[in-house]
Amino acid sequence: MRTAVFWGCVIPNAQYAYELSVREVLPRLGVELVDLEDVSCCGTPIMSVNMNAFLYLAARNLAIAEKTGLKTLLVPCSGCRLSFSEAMHYLRRDEKLQEKINSLLKDEGLEYTGTIRMRFITDLLCNVVKKEYIQKLTKKTLNELKLASHYGCHAIRPSSIERTDDPENPRNLDDLIGWLGARSEAYPEKLDCCGSLLLWSHHDAAFTFAGLKLKAIQDRGFDGVVVTCPACHMMFDERQKAVASTVGSKLDLPVLYYTQLLGLAMGIEEEKLGLHLNRSPVDKLLEKIG
Amino acid sequence: MTITDLMTTKKPDSKLRLKVLEKIGEHKPYNCFQCIRCTSGCPAMKMLELKPHEIVNLAKLGFIEDVVNSGIIWTCAMCLKCKERCPQEVAPVDLILALRNLAVEMEAKIPEGHLKNVSMILETGFILTPREAITRKLEKYSRDKLGLPKLPKPSEKFKATFLKALGTS
Repeated sequence: MRTAVFWGCVIPNAQYAYELSVREVLPRLGVELVDLEDVSCCGTPIMSVNMNAFLYLAARNLAIAEKTGLKTLLVPCSGCRLSFSEAMHYLRRDEKLQEKINSLLKDEGLEYTGTIRMRFITDLLCNVVKKEYIQKLTKKTLNELKLASHYGCHAIRPSSIERTDDPENPRNLDDLIGWLGARSEAYPEKLDCCGSLLLWSHHDAAFTFAGLKLKAIQDRGFDGVVVTCPACHMMFDERQKAVASTVGSKLDLPVLYYTQLLGLAMGIEEEKLGLHLNRSPVDKLLEKIG
Repeated sequence: MTITDLMTTKKPDSKLRLKVLEKIGEHKPYNCFQCIRCTSGCPAMKMLELKPHEIVNLAKLGFIEDVVNSGIIWTCAMCLKCKERCPQEVAPVDLILALRNLAVEMEAKIPEGHLKNVSMILETGFILTPREAITRKLEKYSRDKLGLPKLPKPSEKFKATFLKALGTS
């Protein structure tokens, strides 16, 4: 299949490992990615400032994606997923609002019609690529590993709007990990938030959110954390040392993107998956995989 | 700021309450019966003493200005558990976002991070600018060096329209 892809802000400006691994893995699974021109921030970061400006940004990016004529928009960032699903929901329900937003889009010759379907990365892998295809292409089984899945709040909530997973007991990511042979065990802190959206107002509290979750995962004897959101990854991976100091403990926990894990199972070289860019101690995980 | 204190010292503002209600559409605070399911699962409650059910109650009663200026609305981490779990579909997080929007309109004190997002989008189209990645071995990599394609740059027209959108409420 061919799909448009929307990278957002965090992935293409800071989380290169995610972009590299998505670009490396998906085409091998029969998904051709089409980059979008002239896109901008998805809108989520300014929901707090002005809802109309948020809707404008979301609808503008969706309109650009619609212009390609493609039927699917792949969104690898859960924050962008929230923006688009909320905007789709509000604009579908309220014709006047859609007119108002479209009158802004007209300045750039764009129009939002609501015809494109958005798919989050786990949704695409679970429901389009599917288990058989993924298992057919995996060369290594990861059955030595016990991994903690971290979903990202905006990938599963709110469930009222085009969600494909259970908001209280999400399964997609656990299934995906399980298909590679690894154990993805449930843990009580599974639904806890990484805190990243608090960085804009309460920096220390945001770090404590992440620290408490990582400490709990480490204490429960997991080999690593698997994520699908660039904001969560930044909190858990890049900032792990700083985050650890807020909870007064030493953290030494490998954190990686699901697409990196999938790539490893498919036998793709580490550098192609951006694994040299992870700041958390992924080496010990790589040793176990062999 | 407790409700009892407010009720003895302040008067509710029905005009501002209406303004907030208009912003949140179908999620009416009036439907709340204070079951406190939102607050019991709120991660910001543990860390920063945010009590979503109290915010809903204050909005219901019309003490809008006090909530808008209190700073408590900026402690929400937007995890959306309250929206998911509310049996009355009140969505406290949507109310909190509406109150934040109102705080901007009323020129109340806004955390700098949120304002920076706006200026960054105006300048570059994104909330971040491309930065060098540093590996575990402390080597530096740019997008270019990693072989990733060039980033889109928004036009002047985009900036003008974004400003126009910011001007509407």
